[in-house]
Amino acid sequence: MNTLLEVKNLKVRYGNIEALHGISFDVKEGEIVTLIGANGAGKSTTLMSICRLPPPEAPRVTEGDILYKGQSLLNMPPHKVVSDLDMALVPEGRRIFGNLTVEENLKLATYARTDGHEAIHRDYERVYQLFPRLAERKKQRSESLSGGEQQMLALGRAIMTKCGFLMLDEPSMGLAPLLMYDMFRTLRELNQSGLTILLIEQNANLALRFAHRGYVLDTGEIVAHGTSEELLADPEVKKAYLGG
Amino acid sequence: MITGGGPIPEVPARFVLRRGLARTHPRRKAVPRHAARKHHFKAKVPLVEIFQNILNALQFGSFYALIALGYTLVYGVLRLINFAHGDIFMVGAYLAYFVAVTLLGIGGLNLGLHMDPGLALAITVPVTMILTALVGVTLERTAYRPLRRKGADRLYVVITALMAGLVLENGNLALLGASRKRFPDMIDKVIWNLHGVTVTNLKVIVIVASILVFLLLQFIVTKTKIGMAMRGISYDKFAIPLMGIPLDTIIVVTFVLGSAMAGLAGILFAMSYPILEPYMGALIGWKAFIAAVVGGIGDIRGAIVGGFLLGFIEIGVVAVFPSTLRDLFAFSVLLIILWLRPTGIFGVAQTTKI
Ligand SMILES: Nc1ncnc2c1ncn2[C@@H]1O[C@H](COP(=O)(O)OP(=O)(O)O)[C@@H](O)[C@H]1O
Ligand SMILES: [Mg+2]
Repeated sequence: MNTLLEVKNLKVRYGNIEALHGISFDVKEGEIVTLIGANGAGKSTTLMSICRLPPPEAPRVTEGDILYKGQSLLNMPPHKVVSDLDMALVPEGRRIFGNLTVEENLKLATYARTDGHEAIHRDYERVYQLFPRLAERKKQRSESLSGGEQQMLALGRAIMTKCGFLMLDEPSMGLAPLLMYDMFRTLRELNQSGLTILLIEQNANLALRFAHRGYVLDTGEIVAHGTSEELLADPEVKKAYLGG
Repeated sequence: MITGGGPIPEVPARFVLRRGLARTHPRRKAVPRHAARKHHFKAKVPLVEIFQNILNALQFGSFYALIALGYTLVYGVLRLINFAHGDIFMVGAYLAYFVAVTLLGIGGLNLGLHMDPGLALAITVPVTMILTALVGVTLERTAYRPLRRKGADRLYVVITALMAGLVLENGNLALLGASRKRFPDMIDKVIWNLHGVTVTNLKVIVIVASILVFLLLQFIVTKTKIGMAMRGISYDKFAIPLMGIPLDTIIVVTFVLGSAMAGLAGILFAMSYPILEPYMGALIGWKAFIAAVVGGIGDIRGAIVGGFLLGFIEIGVVAVFPSTLRDLFAFSVLLIILWLRPTGIFGVAQTTKI
Protein backbone atom coordinates (compact mmCIF):
# COMPACT_ATOMS: atom_id res chain seq x y z
CA MET A 1 0.00 0.00 0.00
CA ASN A 2 1.24 3.46 -0.89
CA THR A 3 1.60 6.05 1.78
CA LEU A 4 -0.77 8.93 1.01
CA LEU A 5 -0.15 11.30 3.87
CA GLU A 6 2.98 11.49 5.89
CA VAL A 7 3.37 13.89 8.80
CA LYS A 8 6.95 14.11 10.02
CA ASN A 9 8.01 15.58 13.35
CA LEU A 10 5.45 18.37 13.07
CA LYS A 11 5.78 21.30 15.47
CA VAL A 12 3.06 23.92 15.40
CA ARG A 13 2.53 27.17 17.26
CA TYR A 14 -0.26 29.59 17.99
CA GLY A 15 1.65 32.79 18.62
CA ASN A 16 4.23 31.81 21.21
CA ILE A 17 2.46 28.75 22.45
CA GLU A 18 3.44 25.43 20.96
CA ALA A 19 0.37 23.26 20.40
CA LEU A 20 2.04 20.28 18.68
CA HIS A 21 5.47 19.19 19.91
CA GLY A 22 6.72 17.15 16.99
CA ILE A 23 4.17 14.55 15.98
CA SER A 24 4.62 11.93 13.27
CA PHE A 25 2.04 9.68 11.68
CA ASP A 26 1.03 8.38 8.29
CA VAL A 27 -2.03 7.27 6.38
CA LYS A 28 -1.85 4.70 3.61
CA GLU A 29 -4.07 4.47 0.57
CA GLY A 30 -7.42 2.84 1.30
CA GLU A 31 -7.05 3.02 5.08
CA ILE A 32 -9.22 4.47 7.76
CA VAL A 33 -6.93 5.99 10.36
CA THR A 34 -8.13 7.71 13.48
CA LEU A 35 -6.51 10.28 15.68
CA ILE A 36 -8.04 10.20 19.15
CA GLY A 37 -7.40 12.33 22.18
CA ALA A 38 -9.04 14.42 24.86
CA ASN A 39 -10.36 17.92 24.31
CA GLY A 40 -7.47 20.32 23.70
CA ALA A 41 -5.00 17.59 22.75
CA GLY A 42 -4.28 19.21 19.39
CA LYS A 43 -6.44 17.13 17.05
CA SER A 44 -8.06 20.04 15.20
CA THR A 45 -4.74 21.84 15.12
CA THR A 46 -3.26 18.86 13.28
CA LEU A 47 -5.96 18.99 10.59
CA MET A 48 -5.73 22.75 10.22
CA SER A 49 -2.00 22.46 9.74
CA ILE A 50 -2.51 19.89 7.01
CA CYS A 51 -5.11 22.05 5.26
CA ARG A 52 -2.94 25.15 5.39
CA LEU A 53 -5.81 27.39 6.40
CA PRO A 54 -5.02 31.05 5.98
CA PRO A 55 -4.20 33.39 8.84
CA PRO A 56 -5.45 34.49 11.30
CA GLU A 57 -7.12 31.12 11.92
CA ALA A 58 -4.12 29.05 10.99
CA PRO A 59 -1.53 27.74 13.35
CA ARG A 60 2.07 28.24 12.26
CA VAL A 61 4.23 25.24 11.39
CA THR A 62 7.69 25.80 12.86
CA GLU A 63 9.33 22.46 12.20
CA GLY A 64 8.76 19.20 10.41
CA ASP A 65 6.97 18.47 7.18
CA ILE A 66 3.66 17.32 5.77
CA LEU A 67 3.86 15.21 2.64
CA TYR A 68 0.96 14.17 0.46
CA LYS A 69 1.88 11.60 -2.17
CA GLY A 70 5.47 12.60 -1.49
CA GLN A 71 4.89 16.30 -2.12
CA SER A 72 5.34 18.82 0.68
CA LEU A 73 2.24 20.88 1.47
CA LEU A 74 3.98 23.50 3.53
CA ASN A 75 4.21 26.13 0.82
CA MET A 76 0.86 25.43 -0.72
CA PRO A 77 -2.01 27.92 -0.48
CA PRO A 78 -5.02 26.40 1.30
CA HIS A 79 -7.40 26.28 -1.65
CA LYS A 80 -4.82 24.41 -3.74
CA VAL A 81 -4.71 21.60 -1.22
CA VAL A 82 -8.34 20.97 -2.14
CA SER A 83 -8.36 21.95 -5.82
CA ASP A 84 -5.03 20.51 -7.01
CA LEU A 85 -4.77 17.52 -4.67
CA ASP A 86 -7.73 15.29 -3.98
CA MET A 87 -7.94 16.16 -0.29
CA ALA A 88 -11.01 17.39 1.55
CA LEU A 89 -11.78 18.41 5.11
CA VAL A 90 -15.09 18.26 6.91
CA PRO A 91 -14.25 20.74 9.66
CA GLU A 92 -15.29 20.81 13.27
CA GLY A 93 -18.81 22.16 13.51
CA ARG A 94 -19.47 21.37 9.82
CA ARG A 95 -19.23 24.98 8.65
CA ILE A 96 -21.79 24.71 5.87
CA PHE A 97 -22.92 27.92 4.17
CA GLY A 98 -26.18 28.45 6.00
CA ASN A 99 -27.30 31.30 3.76
CA LEU A 100 -27.10 29.12 0.65
CA THR A 101 -29.47 26.35 -0.34
CA VAL A 102 -28.48 22.70 -0.14
CA GLU A 103 -28.04 22.61 -3.89
CA GLU A 104 -25.92 25.79 -3.89
CA ASN A 105 -23.68 24.38 -1.17
CA LEU A 106 -22.99 21.33 -3.30
CA LYS A 107 -22.53 23.36 -6.45
CA LEU A 108 -20.08 25.71 -4.77
CA ALA A 109 -17.96 22.71 -3.86
CA THR A 110 -17.44 22.00 -7.57
CA TYR A 111 -15.97 25.49 -8.09
CA ALA A 112 -12.44 24.36 -8.85
CA ARG A 113 -13.22 21.11 -10.62
CA THR A 114 -12.01 20.72 -14.16
CA ASP A 115 -13.00 17.14 -14.84
CA GLY A 116 -16.10 17.97 -16.81
CA HIS A 117 -19.87 17.98 -16.51
CA GLU A 118 -20.35 14.25 -16.61
CA ALA A 119 -18.08 13.45 -13.70
CA ILE A 120 -19.67 16.23 -11.67
CA HIS A 121 -23.11 15.00 -12.53
CA ARG A 122 -22.20 11.49 -11.43
CA ASP A 123 -21.04 12.86 -8.07
CA TYR A 124 -24.29 14.78 -7.57
CA GLU A 125 -26.17 11.56 -8.15
CA ARG A 126 -23.93 9.71 -5.74
CA VAL A 127 -24.45 12.31 -3.02
CA TYR A 128 -28.22 12.35 -3.47
CA GLN A 129 -28.27 8.56 -3.49
CA LEU A 130 -26.20 8.37 -0.29
CA PHE A 131 -28.33 11.04 1.34
CA PRO A 132 -31.87 11.06 -0.09
CA ARG A 133 -32.78 13.61 2.59
CA LEU A 134 -30.59 16.14 0.83
CA ALA A 135 -32.35 15.51 -2.48
CA GLU A 136 -35.66 16.25 -0.79
CA ARG A 137 -34.31 19.48 0.62
CA LYS A 138 -32.38 20.74 -2.41
CA LYS A 139 -34.01 24.17 -2.51
CA GLN A 140 -34.02 24.72 1.23
CA ARG A 141 -31.70 27.18 2.95
CA SER A 142 -29.19 24.90 4.60
CA GLU A 143 -29.41 26.80 7.90
CA SER A 144 -32.82 25.25 8.36
CA LEU A 145 -31.55 21.67 8.16
CA SER A 146 -31.33 19.49 11.26
CA GLY A 147 -27.92 18.71 12.74
CA GLY A 148 -27.81 15.31 11.10
CA GLU A 149 -28.76 16.72 7.71
CA GLN A 150 -26.14 19.42 8.05
CA GLN A 151 -23.53 16.74 8.67
CA MET A 152 -24.74 14.93 5.54
CA LEU A 153 -24.41 18.15 3.59
CA ALA A 154 -20.91 18.75 4.93
CA LEU A 155 -19.94 15.26 3.81
CA GLY A 156 -21.74 15.67 0.47
CA ARG A 157 -19.89 18.91 -0.09
CA ALA A 158 -16.56 17.17 0.52
CA ILE A 159 -17.49 14.48 -2.01
CA MET A 160 -18.38 17.18 -4.55
CA THR A 161 -14.88 18.61 -4.35
CA LYS A 162 -13.80 15.25 -5.83
CA CYS A 163 -11.87 13.83 -2.96
CA GLY A 164 -9.85 10.68 -2.58
CA PHE A 165 -8.59 11.52 0.87
CA LEU A 166 -11.10 12.75 3.41
CA MET A 167 -10.37 14.26 6.80
CA LEU A 168 -13.18 14.57 9.33
CA ASP A 169 -13.06 16.54 12.55
CA GLU A 170 -15.41 15.04 15.13
CA PRO A 171 -18.28 14.23 12.77
CA SER A 172 -20.19 12.54 15.60
CA MET A 173 -20.40 15.72 17.66
CA GLY A 174 -23.95 16.70 18.41
CA LEU A 175 -25.52 13.77 16.57
CA ALA A 176 -28.03 11.39 18.09
CA PRO A 177 -26.60 7.83 18.32
CA LEU A 178 -28.73 6.49 15.47
CA LEU A 179 -27.66 9.25 13.09
CA MET A 180 -24.11 8.75 14.22
CA TYR A 181 -24.15 5.06 13.29
CA ASP A 182 -25.74 5.91 9.95
CA MET A 183 -22.99 8.38 9.29
CA PHE A 184 -20.26 5.88 10.10
CA ARG A 185 -21.93 3.23 7.97
CA THR A 186 -21.90 5.64 5.04
CA LEU A 187 -18.27 6.47 5.67
CA ARG A 188 -17.37 2.79 5.66
CA GLU A 189 -19.21 2.37 2.34
CA LEU A 190 -17.25 5.27 0.90
CA ASN A 191 -14.03 3.72 2.19
CA GLN A 192 -14.87 0.41 0.56
CA SER A 193 -15.30 2.17 -2.75
CA GLY A 194 -11.80 3.61 -2.47
CA LEU A 195 -11.88 6.66 -0.18
CA THR A 196 -9.03 7.02 2.30
CA ILE A 197 -10.14 8.51 5.61
CA LEU A 198 -8.43 10.31 8.47
CA LEU A 199 -10.90 10.57 11.31
CA ILE A 200 -10.57 12.73 14.38
CA GLU A 201 -12.65 11.79 17.36
CA GLN A 202 -13.05 12.35 21.05
CA ASN A 203 -15.27 9.31 21.16
CA ALA A 204 -12.40 6.81 21.14
CA ASN A 205 -14.54 3.73 21.46
CA LEU A 206 -16.55 4.53 18.38
CA ALA A 207 -13.52 5.65 16.40
CA LEU A 208 -11.46 2.55 17.13
CA ARG A 209 -14.30 0.23 16.23
CA PHE A 210 -14.55 1.98 12.89
CA ALA A 211 -10.90 2.53 11.95
CA HIS A 212 -8.13 0.16 10.88
CA ARG A 213 -5.42 1.94 12.80
CA GLY A 214 -5.20 4.68 15.35
CA TYR A 215 -2.92 7.22 17.01
CA VAL A 216 -3.45 8.62 20.47
CA LEU A 217 -2.69 12.30 20.87
CA ASP A 218 -2.11 13.81 24.31
CA THR A 219 -1.30 17.53 24.78
CA GLY A 220 0.49 17.83 21.48
CA GLU A 221 2.30 14.50 21.49
CA ILE A 222 1.53 11.07 20.13
CA VAL A 223 1.60 8.71 23.10
CA ALA A 224 0.41 5.46 21.50
CA HIS A 225 -0.32 3.97 18.13
CA GLY A 226 -1.23 0.64 16.61
CA THR A 227 -4.04 -1.26 14.95
CA SER A 228 -7.45 -0.68 16.39
CA GLU A 229 -7.41 -4.11 18.06
CA GLU A 230 -4.09 -3.34 19.72
CA LEU A 231 -5.27 0.01 21.01
CA LEU A 232 -8.58 -1.35 22.21
CA ALA A 233 -6.68 -3.96 24.17
CA ASP A 234 -3.97 -1.62 25.50
CA PRO A 235 -4.50 -1.19 29.26
CA GLU A 236 -3.20 2.41 29.28
CA VAL A 237 -5.47 3.45 26.43
CA LYS A 238 -8.35 1.60 28.04
CA LYS A 239 -7.83 3.45 31.29
CA ALA A 240 -7.43 6.90 29.82
CA TYR A 241 -9.80 6.91 26.84
CA LEU A 242 -12.18 3.98 26.93
CA GLY A 243 -13.55 4.50 30.41
CA GLY A 244 -11.65 1.69 32.13
CA MET B 1 -14.70 62.63 3.31
CA ILE B 2 -15.34 64.28 6.62
CA THR B 3 -14.57 67.58 4.98
CA GLY B 4 -17.72 66.76 3.05
CA GLY B 5 -18.28 70.23 1.70
CA GLY B 6 -18.63 69.10 -1.87
CA PRO B 7 -21.65 70.59 -3.54
CA ILE B 8 -24.04 68.17 -5.03
CA PRO B 9 -25.73 69.54 -8.09
CA GLU B 10 -28.96 71.20 -7.27
CA VAL B 11 -32.09 69.92 -8.81
CA PRO B 12 -32.70 72.29 -11.69
CA ALA B 13 -35.19 74.88 -10.52
CA ARG B 14 -37.43 74.54 -13.53
CA PHE B 15 -38.23 70.96 -12.62
CA VAL B 16 -39.33 71.89 -9.18
CA LEU B 17 -42.98 71.57 -8.58
CA ARG B 18 -44.00 74.45 -6.39
CA ARG B 19 -47.33 75.79 -7.40
CA GLY B 20 -49.11 72.49 -7.49
CA LEU B 21 -48.54 71.72 -3.84
CA ALA B 22 -48.53 75.29 -2.62
CA ARG B 23 -50.90 74.34 0.15
CA THR B 24 -48.08 73.00 2.24
CA HIS B 25 -45.67 75.80 1.48
CA PRO B 26 -44.92 77.75 4.65
CA ARG B 27 -45.46 81.14 3.07
CA ARG B 28 -48.88 80.11 1.88
CA LYS B 29 -50.15 79.10 5.28
CA ALA B 30 -52.50 82.01 5.55
CA VAL B 31 -54.32 81.13 2.36
CA PRO B 32 -57.71 79.54 3.06
CA ARG B 33 -57.86 75.87 2.21
CA HIS B 34 -60.46 76.02 -0.50
CA ALA B 35 -58.61 78.82 -2.21
CA ALA B 36 -55.44 76.82 -2.25
CA ARG B 37 -57.21 73.82 -3.65
CA LYS B 38 -58.76 75.92 -6.34
CA HIS B 39 -55.36 77.23 -7.19
CA HIS B 40 -54.09 73.67 -7.35
CA PHE B 41 -56.65 72.68 -9.91
CA LYS B 42 -55.97 75.77 -11.90
CA ALA B 43 -52.31 74.85 -12.20
CA LYS B 44 -51.65 74.33 -15.84
CA VAL B 45 -49.79 71.04 -16.01
CA PRO B 46 -49.50 69.35 -12.63
CA LEU B 47 -49.38 65.87 -14.11
CA VAL B 48 -46.61 66.91 -16.45
CA GLU B 49 -44.62 68.26 -13.55
CA ILE B 50 -45.13 65.11 -11.57
CA PHE B 51 -43.82 63.02 -14.44
CA GLN B 52 -40.94 65.41 -14.85
CA ASN B 53 -40.09 64.97 -11.21
CA ILE B 54 -40.36 61.21 -11.38
CA LEU B 55 -37.92 61.23 -14.25
CA ASN B 56 -35.48 63.38 -12.31
CA ALA B 57 -35.85 61.20 -9.25
CA LEU B 58 -35.03 58.17 -11.35
CA GLN B 59 -31.95 59.87 -12.74
CA PHE B 60 -30.65 60.90 -9.31
CA GLY B 61 -31.62 57.56 -7.88
CA SER B 62 -29.58 55.88 -10.61
CA PHE B 63 -26.39 57.57 -9.44
CA TYR B 64 -27.05 56.65 -5.84
CA ALA B 65 -27.94 53.11 -6.83
CA LEU B 66 -24.82 52.58 -8.95
CA ILE B 67 -22.60 53.76 -6.11
CA ALA B 68 -24.62 51.95 -3.44
CA LEU B 69 -24.03 48.69 -5.32
CA GLY B 70 -20.32 48.98 -4.59
CA TYR B 71 -20.87 49.54 -0.89
CA THR B 72 -23.27 46.66 -0.68
CA LEU B 73 -21.13 44.19 -2.64
CA VAL B 74 -18.07 44.78 -0.50
CA TYR B 75 -20.08 44.76 2.70
CA GLY B 76 -21.92 41.63 1.65
CA VAL B 77 -18.68 39.78 1.12
CA LEU B 78 -16.33 41.19 3.74
CA ARG B 79 -18.61 42.83 6.29
CA LEU B 80 -16.45 45.86 5.60
CA ILE B 81 -17.85 49.31 4.94
CA ASN B 82 -15.56 50.64 2.27
CA PHE B 83 -15.80 54.30 3.17
CA ALA B 84 -13.37 55.16 0.37
CA HIS B 85 -15.96 54.08 -2.19
CA GLY B 86 -17.44 57.57 -2.71
CA ASP B 87 -13.95 58.77 -3.57
CA ILE B 88 -13.50 55.88 -5.95
CA PHE B 89 -16.53 57.30 -7.75
CA MET B 90 -14.76 60.68 -7.85
CA VAL B 91 -11.61 59.04 -9.19
CA GLY B 92 -13.80 57.33 -11.79
CA ALA B 93 -15.16 60.69 -12.95
CA TYR B 94 -11.64 62.11 -13.23
CA LEU B 95 -10.33 59.05 -15.04
CA ALA B 96 -13.23 59.38 -17.46
CA TYR B 97 -12.26 63.02 -17.96
CA PHE B 98 -8.63 62.19 -18.75
CA VAL B 99 -9.49 59.33 -21.05
CA ALA B 100 -12.09 61.44 -22.83
CA VAL B 101 -9.95 64.55 -23.38
CA THR B 102 -7.05 62.37 -24.50
CA LEU B 103 -9.19 60.60 -27.06
CA LEU B 104 -10.79 63.83 -28.23
CA GLY B 105 -7.35 65.47 -28.48
CA ILE B 106 -8.27 68.42 -26.28
CA GLY B 107 -6.00 67.71 -23.31
CA GLY B 108 -4.65 64.87 -21.21
CA LEU B 109 -1.95 62.85 -22.93
CA ASN B 110 -0.98 64.27 -26.26
CA LEU B 111 -1.38 61.23 -28.47
CA GLY B 112 -2.40 63.23 -31.50
CA LEU B 113 -5.86 61.71 -31.44
CA HIS B 114 -8.92 63.57 -32.63
CA MET B 115 -11.64 61.04 -32.32
CA ASP B 116 -15.24 61.46 -33.13
CA PRO B 117 -17.05 62.05 -29.78
CA GLY B 118 -19.29 59.01 -30.22
CA LEU B 119 -16.35 56.69 -30.77
CA ALA B 120 -14.44 58.37 -27.95
CA LEU B 121 -17.35 57.70 -25.60
CA ALA B 122 -17.55 54.07 -26.67
CA ILE B 123 -13.90 53.69 -25.68
CA THR B 124 -14.06 55.92 -22.60
CA VAL B 125 -16.73 53.84 -20.90
CA PRO B 126 -14.92 50.47 -20.77
CA VAL B 127 -11.48 52.02 -20.26
CA THR B 128 -12.71 54.09 -17.33
CA MET B 129 -14.46 51.12 -15.78
CA ILE B 130 -11.30 49.03 -16.05
CA LEU B 131 -9.06 51.77 -14.66
CA THR B 132 -11.43 52.48 -11.78
CA ALA B 133 -11.59 48.77 -11.03
CA LEU B 134 -7.79 48.78 -10.85
CA VAL B 135 -7.93 51.60 -8.32
CA GLY B 136 -10.37 49.60 -6.21
CA VAL B 137 -8.22 46.48 -6.41
CA THR B 138 -5.11 48.47 -5.49
CA LEU B 139 -6.93 49.80 -2.45
CA GLU B 140 -7.87 46.26 -1.46
CA ARG B 141 -4.33 44.98 -1.92
CA THR B 142 -2.49 47.77 -0.19
CA ALA B 143 -4.91 48.76 2.55
CA TYR B 144 -7.42 46.04 3.38
CA ARG B 145 -5.69 42.77 2.62
CA PRO B 146 -2.74 43.27 4.99
CA LEU B 147 -5.17 44.09 7.79
CA ARG B 148 -7.24 41.04 6.99
CA ARG B 149 -4.14 38.84 7.04
CA LYS B 150 -3.26 40.09 10.48
CA GLY B 151 -6.80 39.61 11.71
CA ALA B 152 -7.08 43.30 12.60
CA ASP B 153 -10.09 44.51 14.51
CA ARG B 154 -12.88 45.99 12.41
CA LEU B 155 -12.37 49.46 13.89
CA TYR B 156 -8.92 49.69 12.28
CA VAL B 157 -10.30 48.60 8.96
CA VAL B 158 -12.96 51.30 9.05
CA ILE B 159 -10.41 53.95 9.98
CA THR B 160 -8.20 52.72 7.16
CA ALA B 161 -11.10 53.06 4.73
CA LEU B 162 -11.82 56.62 5.88
CA MET B 163 -8.18 57.54 5.53
CA ALA B 164 -7.91 55.94 2.12
CA GLY B 165 -10.79 58.15 1.00
CA LEU B 166 -9.06 61.24 2.33
CA VAL B 167 -5.85 60.22 0.60
CA LEU B 168 -7.68 59.93 -2.71
CA GLU B 169 -9.33 63.34 -2.30
CA ASN B 170 -6.22 65.12 -1.21
CA GLY B 171 -4.03 63.25 -3.63
CA ASN B 172 -6.25 64.55 -6.38
CA LEU B 173 -6.02 68.05 -4.92
CA ALA B 174 -2.24 67.83 -4.77
CA LEU B 175 -1.92 66.46 -8.29
CA LEU B 176 -4.41 68.66 -10.08
CA GLY B 177 -4.81 71.66 -7.85
CA ALA B 178 -8.04 73.19 -6.69
CA SER B 179 -9.30 74.19 -10.10
CA ARG B 180 -12.31 72.39 -11.45
CA LYS B 181 -12.34 70.37 -14.61
CA ARG B 182 -14.99 70.67 -17.25
CA PHE B 183 -16.06 67.36 -18.71
CA PRO B 184 -16.30 67.56 -22.51
CA ASP B 185 -19.59 67.02 -24.34
CA MET B 186 -19.54 63.54 -25.78
CA ILE B 187 -23.03 63.01 -27.05
CA ASP B 188 -25.31 65.29 -28.97
CA LYS B 189 -28.01 66.25 -26.58
CA VAL B 190 -31.38 65.10 -27.80
CA ILE B 191 -34.42 66.47 -26.06
CA TRP B 192 -37.77 64.87 -26.55
CA ASN B 193 -40.89 66.67 -25.50
CA LEU B 194 -43.56 64.17 -24.52
CA HIS B 195 -46.69 66.18 -23.84
CA GLY B 196 -44.66 68.74 -21.97
CA VAL B 197 -42.31 66.35 -20.16
CA THR B 198 -38.76 66.93 -21.31
CA VAL B 199 -36.81 63.75 -21.69
CA THR B 200 -33.17 63.94 -22.64
CA ASN B 201 -31.29 61.05 -24.14
CA LEU B 202 -28.74 61.32 -21.34
CA LYS B 203 -31.38 60.83 -18.66
CA VAL B 204 -32.64 57.74 -20.43
CA ILE B 205 -29.12 56.38 -20.76
CA VAL B 206 -28.42 56.91 -17.05
CA ILE B 207 -31.61 55.21 -15.92
CA VAL B 208 -31.33 52.30 -18.35
CA ALA B 209 -27.65 51.79 -17.47
CA SER B 210 -28.36 51.53 -13.75
CA ILE B 211 -31.14 49.02 -14.33
CA LEU B 212 -28.99 46.90 -16.66
CA VAL B 213 -26.14 46.96 -14.16
CA PHE B 214 -28.50 45.85 -11.42
CA LEU B 215 -29.80 42.95 -13.52
CA LEU B 216 -26.28 41.90 -14.43
CA LEU B 217 -25.05 41.95 -10.83
CA GLN B 218 -28.15 40.21 -9.58
CA PHE B 219 -27.50 37.46 -12.12
CA ILE B 220 -23.86 37.15 -11.12
CA VAL B 221 -24.60 37.00 -7.42
CA THR B 222 -27.52 34.60 -7.53
CA LYS B 223 -26.68 32.33 -10.43
CA THR B 224 -22.94 31.98 -10.88
CA LYS B 225 -20.45 30.07 -8.76
CA ILE B 226 -18.47 33.25 -8.18
CA GLY B 227 -21.63 34.85 -6.87
CA MET B 228 -22.32 31.88 -4.63
CA ALA B 229 -18.78 32.10 -3.32
CA MET B 230 -19.32 35.81 -2.62
CA ARG B 231 -22.40 34.99 -0.59
CA GLY B 232 -20.65 32.06 1.04
CA ILE B 233 -17.78 34.22 2.25
CA SER B 234 -20.13 36.51 4.09
CA TYR B 235 -21.47 33.52 6.00
CA ASP B 236 -18.26 31.64 6.66
CA LYS B 237 -14.95 32.84 5.32
CA PHE B 238 -13.14 29.89 6.87
CA ALA B 239 -14.92 27.28 4.78
CA ILE B 240 -14.25 28.90 1.39
CA PRO B 241 -10.72 27.54 0.84
CA LEU B 242 -11.98 24.13 1.93
CA MET B 243 -14.08 24.15 -1.24
CA GLY B 244 -10.94 24.73 -3.31
CA ILE B 245 -11.88 28.38 -3.78
CA PRO B 246 -9.17 31.04 -3.60
CA LEU B 247 -10.52 33.52 -1.07
CA ASP B 248 -8.47 36.45 -2.31
CA THR B 249 -9.63 35.99 -5.90
CA ILE B 250 -13.27 36.24 -4.88
CA ILE B 251 -12.53 39.35 -2.84
CA VAL B 252 -10.71 40.92 -5.78
CA VAL B 253 -13.65 40.15 -8.07
CA THR B 254 -15.92 41.87 -5.58
CA PHE B 255 -13.80 45.00 -5.60
CA VAL B 256 -13.56 44.88 -9.40
CA LEU B 257 -17.34 44.76 -9.75
CA GLY B 258 -18.03 47.46 -7.16
CA SER B 259 -15.35 49.83 -8.43
CA ALA B 260 -16.22 49.34 -12.08
CA MET B 261 -19.79 50.36 -11.30
CA ALA B 262 -18.51 53.41 -9.42
CA GLY B 263 -16.46 54.23 -12.52
CA LEU B 264 -19.55 53.93 -14.68
CA ALA B 265 -21.42 56.19 -12.28
CA GLY B 266 -18.50 58.62 -12.52
CA ILE B 267 -18.76 58.85 -16.31
CA LEU B 268 -22.53 59.20 -16.34
CA PHE B 269 -22.43 61.80 -13.58
CA ALA B 270 -19.72 63.78 -15.34
CA MET B 271 -21.76 63.74 -18.53
CA SER B 272 -24.85 64.91 -16.66
CA TYR B 273 -23.14 67.51 -14.45
CA PRO B 274 -19.89 68.26 -16.24
CA ILE B 275 -18.01 70.10 -13.49
CA LEU B 276 -15.55 67.90 -11.61
CA GLU B 277 -13.91 68.71 -8.32
CA PRO B 278 -11.98 66.57 -5.81
CA TYR B 279 -14.71 66.53 -3.15
CA MET B 280 -17.51 65.56 -5.48
CA GLY B 281 -17.49 61.99 -4.16
CA ALA B 282 -17.80 62.84 -0.50
CA LEU B 283 -21.43 63.79 -0.03
CA ILE B 284 -22.79 61.63 -2.82
CA GLY B 285 -20.77 58.73 -1.40
CA TRP B 286 -22.31 59.16 2.04
CA LYS B 287 -25.74 59.38 0.52
CA ALA B 288 -25.22 56.24 -1.53
CA PHE B 289 -23.94 54.46 1.57
CA ILE B 290 -27.04 55.48 3.48
CA ALA B 291 -29.18 54.38 0.54
CA ALA B 292 -27.49 50.99 0.68
CA VAL B 293 -28.13 50.69 4.41
CA VAL B 294 -31.75 51.73 4.11
CA GLY B 295 -32.25 49.22 1.32
CA GLY B 296 -30.60 46.53 3.42
CA ILE B 297 -26.85 46.52 3.04
CA GLY B 298 -25.43 43.35 1.62
CA ASP B 299 -28.42 42.85 -0.67
CA ILE B 300 -28.16 44.06 -4.24
CA ARG B 301 -31.87 44.71 -4.52
CA GLY B 302 -31.54 46.88 -1.45
CA ALA B 303 -28.94 49.07 -3.14
CA ILE B 304 -31.20 49.69 -6.11
CA VAL B 305 -34.35 50.26 -4.07
CA GLY B 306 -32.50 52.41 -1.52
CA GLY B 307 -30.88 54.46 -4.27
CA PHE B 308 -34.11 55.15 -6.10
CA LEU B 309 -35.93 55.77 -2.83
CA LEU B 310 -33.41 58.43 -1.87
CA GLY B 311 -33.78 59.99 -5.32
CA PHE B 312 -37.55 60.14 -4.92
CA ILE B 313 -37.39 61.51 -1.40
CA GLU B 314 -34.98 64.27 -2.39
CA ILE B 315 -36.91 65.35 -5.44
CA GLY B 316 -40.14 65.04 -3.48
CA VAL B 317 -38.84 67.26 -0.69
CA VAL B 318 -37.62 69.90 -3.10
CA ALA B 319 -40.96 69.86 -4.87
CA VAL B 320 -42.67 70.93 -1.68
CA PHE B 321 -40.10 72.74 0.44
CA PRO B 322 -37.25 75.14 -0.21
CA SER B 323 -34.30 73.19 -1.55
CA THR B 324 -32.12 74.08 1.45
CA LEU B 325 -34.23 71.63 3.45
CA ARG B 326 -33.60 68.79 1.04
CA ASP B 327 -30.89 66.92 2.90
CA LEU B 328 -32.41 67.49 6.32
CA PHE B 329 -35.72 66.02 5.21
CA ALA B 330 -34.26 63.27 3.11
CA PHE B 331 -32.05 62.03 5.92
CA SER B 332 -34.85 62.35 8.47
CA VAL B 333 -37.07 60.14 6.34
CA LEU B 334 -34.29 57.60 6.02
CA LEU B 335 -33.76 57.69 9.78
CA ILE B 336 -37.42 56.92 10.30
CA ILE B 337 -37.23 53.99 7.87
CA LEU B 338 -34.27 52.58 9.76
CA TRP B 339 -36.03 53.15 13.04
CA LEU B 340 -38.97 51.10 11.79
CA ARG B 341 -36.80 48.48 10.12
CA PRO B 342 -33.26 48.52 11.49
CA THR B 343 -32.06 45.90 9.00
CA GLY B 344 -33.15 47.97 6.03
CA ILE B 345 -35.84 47.14 3.52
CA PHE B 346 -34.37 43.89 2.21
CA GLY B 347 -32.15 43.13 5.15
CA VAL B 348 -32.56 40.07 7.30
CA ALA B 349 -31.42 39.85 10.90
CA GLN B 350 -27.72 39.06 11.07
CA THR B 351 -27.07 35.37 11.15
CA THR B 352 -23.47 35.45 10.09
CA LYS B 353 -20.75 34.03 12.22
CA ILE B 354 -17.99 36.42 11.32
N1 LIG C 1 -6.72 29.87 17.53
C1 LIG C 1 -6.01 29.45 18.61
N2 LIG C 1 -5.19 30.30 19.23
C2 LIG C 1 -4.46 29.90 20.31
N3 LIG C 1 -4.49 28.66 20.81
C3 LIG C 1 -5.29 27.76 20.24
C4 LIG C 1 -6.09 28.11 19.10
N4 LIG C 1 -6.78 27.01 18.73
C5 LIG C 1 -6.43 26.03 19.59
N5 LIG C 1 -5.53 26.46 20.50
C6 LIG C 1 -4.90 25.65 21.56
O1 LIG C 1 -4.21 24.58 20.99
C7 LIG C 1 -4.42 23.39 21.73
C8 LIG C 1 -5.02 22.33 20.83
O2 LIG C 1 -6.31 22.70 20.44
P1 LIG C 1 -7.18 21.88 19.42
O3 LIG C 1 -6.31 21.44 18.29
O4 LIG C 1 -8.38 22.66 19.07
O5 LIG C 1 -7.59 20.61 20.29
P2 LIG C 1 -8.62 19.45 20.00
O6 LIG C 1 -9.15 19.61 18.62
O7 LIG C 1 -7.85 18.21 20.18
O8 LIG C 1 -9.69 19.57 21.02
C9 LIG C 1 -5.32 23.76 22.88
O9 LIG C 1 -4.51 23.96 24.02
C10 LIG C 1 -5.96 25.05 22.47
O10 LIG C 1 -6.19 25.87 23.58
MG1 LIG D 1 -11.07 19.98 18.03
